[in-house]
Amino acid sequence: MSRKQLLWILMALLTAFILAACTAGEDAGEAPEDTDTAEGDNSGEEDDGAAAETPDLDGKTLYINNGQEPTSFDPSVGFDQVSWDPLNNLMEGLTRLDENSEAAEGVAESWDISEDGLTYTFHLREDANWSNGDPVVAEDFVFAWKHMLDPDTASPAAFLAYYIEGGEEYNSGEGSADDVNVTAVDDKTLEVVLIQPTGFFLDLLTNPAFFPINHQVAEETPDWYAEADTFVANGPFMLESWEHDSEMIFAKNPEYWDADAVNLDYVHFSMVNNSNTQYQMFQTGELDTASIPPEMSDELIDGDDVFIGESGGLEFYRFNITEEPFQNKKIRQAISYAINRADIADYVVKQGVEPAYGFVSPGFNTPDGRDFREENGDLVSFDPDLAQELLEEGMQEEGYDELPPIVLSYNTSDTNQAVAETIQDMLSENLGVDVTLENQEWNVFAEAQQNLELQFSRSSFLNDYADPVNFLESFTTDSYMNRTGFSSEEYDELIQNGKSETDEERRYEYLYEAERMLAEEMIATPIRYYNVVVLEAEGVEGILRHPVGYFDLKYADKAE
Amino acid sequence: MLKYILKRLLIMIITLWVIITLTFVLMVNIPGSPFNTDQASNETVQANLEAHYNLDQPYYIQYLLYIKSIATFEFGPSIKQPNQTVNDLLSRGFPISFELGIITIALAVVSGVLVGIIAALRHNGFLDYLTMGIAVLGISIPNFILATILIQQLAVNLEIFPTATWRSPAHMVLPVLALATGPMAIIARLTRSTMLEVLTQDYIKMAKAKGLSPWKVVFKHALRNALMPVVTIMGTLFAGILTGTFVIEQIFAIPGMGRYFVESINQRDYPVIMGTTVFYSAFLIIMLFIVDIVYGILDPRIKVHQKGGK
Repeated sequence: MSRKQLLWILMALLTAFILAACTAGEDAGEAPEDTDTAEGDNSGEEDDGAAAETPDLDGKTLYINNGQEPTSFDPSVGFDQVSWDPLNNLMEGLTRLDENSEAAEGVAESWDISEDGLTYTFHLREDANWSNGDPVVAEDFVFAWKHMLDPDTASPAAFLAYYIEGGEEYNSGEGSADDVNVTAVDDKTLEVVLIQPTGFFLDLLTNPAFFPINHQVAEETPDWYAEADTFVANGPFMLESWEHDSEMIFAKNPEYWDADAVNLDYVHFSMVNNSNTQYQMFQTGELDTASIPPEMSDELIDGDDVFIGESGGLEFYRFNITEEPFQNKKIRQAISYAINRADIADYVVKQGVEPAYGFVSPGFNTPDGRDFREENGDLVSFDPDLAQELLEEGMQEEGYDELPPIVLSYNTSDTNQAVAETIQDMLSENLGVDVTLENQEWNVFAEAQQNLELQFSRSSFLNDYADPVNFLESFTTDSYMNRTGFSSEEYDELIQNGKSETDEERRYEYLYEAERMLAEEMIATPIRYYNVVVLEAEGVEGILRHPVGYFDLKYADKAE
Repeated sequence: MLKYILKRLLIMIITLWVIITLTFVLMVNIPGSPFNTDQASNETVQANLEAHYNLDQPYYIQYLLYIKSIATFEFGPSIKQPNQTVNDLLSRGFPISFELGIITIALAVVSGVLVGIIAALRHNGFLDYLTMGIAVLGISIPNFILATILIQQLAVNLEIFPTATWRSPAHMVLPVLALATGPMAIIARLTRSTMLEVLTQDYIKMAKAKGLSPWKVVFKHALRNALMPVVTIMGTLFAGILTGTFVIEQIFAIPGMGRYFVESINQRDYPVIMGTTVFYSAFLIIMLFIVDIVYGILDPRIKVHQKGGK
């Protein structure tokens, strides 16, 4: 083969290559254009396009950012915020969080609870329908919950359903689906039996893991949740289009029983995973809501367009009480008293976060309507003198002349590093204790913490349901979340009672005591609560952001 | 020639197998699991997850399953996006990364070579200093900083281009500029220095003496030799840019495949790690092969089919 021939062949190949690229490019460019509604400036024109498909709607559209592609819209599988924030607007469980963030009627219009607190009978709304017109029936819930508990589904949320009789057995492979005690009495009546009275069960049901699945659709199309074409919704919105990794468009669901309350015609979700970019898109009007980039916190946090809300979650540090010197309670307490949490919140983390003086974050209502945090008061504080005193006593008890070396570990991130360095500084200044810092990549870190290989390490927790026991039960002896070596029969019993006591007031007494014990034993030291900070464009209102749970656009509105 | 190509193909397959095996060994040895979480969980749930993805099997079984999935080009579902297979992710992300990459490379090569030639011809002149000064800046400024500046100036302040996402040709301008500047500068400098060297050689003097036009001397005689080093870096440049760039794709929210390289490892999403590794390696190996052949075309002194036999 001569050189010239070869050159020709290569040229031809290259041309074909580029042509292929161009065709691919056209496809990639065209598909989104059909449904493109993202340009804020010429919304009139865009709405016409959208209105052509759904002529009844006038096209009020909210542009928000989901950050990234949802993990999964299978309610049992997508156990994270990027899946459940959108899903919470596509679907509805038996109960739904209301304006006061309390569990109110959702698909169920009423329910009866047996006297022993074990049997719940839900009456479903006659007008609750799926977006394809099917009625929402009790069997849809039975199907969905058994799907969640099926070990083959491998649902990371399955443990939430262990409160149901037979749930844990089925999930661990010891029982069968038939033994899960949830039954469709008739089309609109669902009965479920729990293993023990569970005061927060109605609240638990607002969690997306308990959403129904249209069993007829799911039996026909097992992966109905993967694409917009097959997705059936029963919430305020339905899935109009879903371009993976790029965007989703939700349209108002006319079949929703409370459709009259829904103001928006469309919701457009972008998937922009860069905090600067999404803020810049907010500036240009391409997004209606955005978060504040960390480095711009000082500049923006006091603005009029900033929404700051509570978010049931805690950043804290775990002590490993199986390692020296943390087998000693006083030394643990000394460390805790030497940390100035207000400074960490105000000058290090910023973003309007609150320092944590207890484990359960504000925003949890007690039975008499007060705040759990206020009721149980401050459990830790900043007191360098007391810290010094406790350290000396502790060292004496252990017979230390010199404190064994302490390593403080955190998973690599800018904020975590800043907090860790501040704590290191505070311990040195207030206590004369020099700790070594160590950062690890998240997965390496998590594994080491699970195996009790870390001495003093960072942790975070976000609640799955709005009850303090969700966090507090982390520290029971056989909890997967323990990660401290802590084991106390007394604490285990408090938590057991805190879950199963039928008298709500008394149940909360157990929980108060459990939290106080956690602070007294100082198994972990709280640092700060999480919050949610959102920039909202002018005219955007009515987005419900609950302390625990997922945002709700049902009542959201946007002035034109 | 055919024999040479067959030989190269065999070597390519062996190389690929070595890469796959090394990747597997590395994956098994890095601590962590895709299911680690700070959130509430428990042992049964974790065990179910591991069983679901065959991670509870002994390593040799996992290895065989891997080889099987690679041999059949079915990498299975992603662990972190379970309703999508790795094939879905790659076949959706690659065309977009490829589109961005091919425009970027075209821009970088054409403008880089031109700028390099001009600088060489105006050696030590004003244009030379100006273009090479800009090239040094282009190499030194990381593309993510350039990207942020471009967005802030051209999208937010002047509102000429959209900020981010991937929809229309207008959406492509900023990411292409941000991505092309670095390679463009490298190519310009490389072209300039080899061009200077070539221009002093005897055969160029000869060509000039023959009375050929300067245009013809430069493009027909000098450029062909001056391009050799550029071709050398093209292989890696192609493979690197066409398979997506994590940072630029993240900043501009471009749904390409660049992120999977980084995120799959952070998340221990084993099937995606495998898929991206195999894909990238195969692509790179093929690119290097093409580069070798292009050498032979540009410079007849290099005998392609003898190189492998040495």
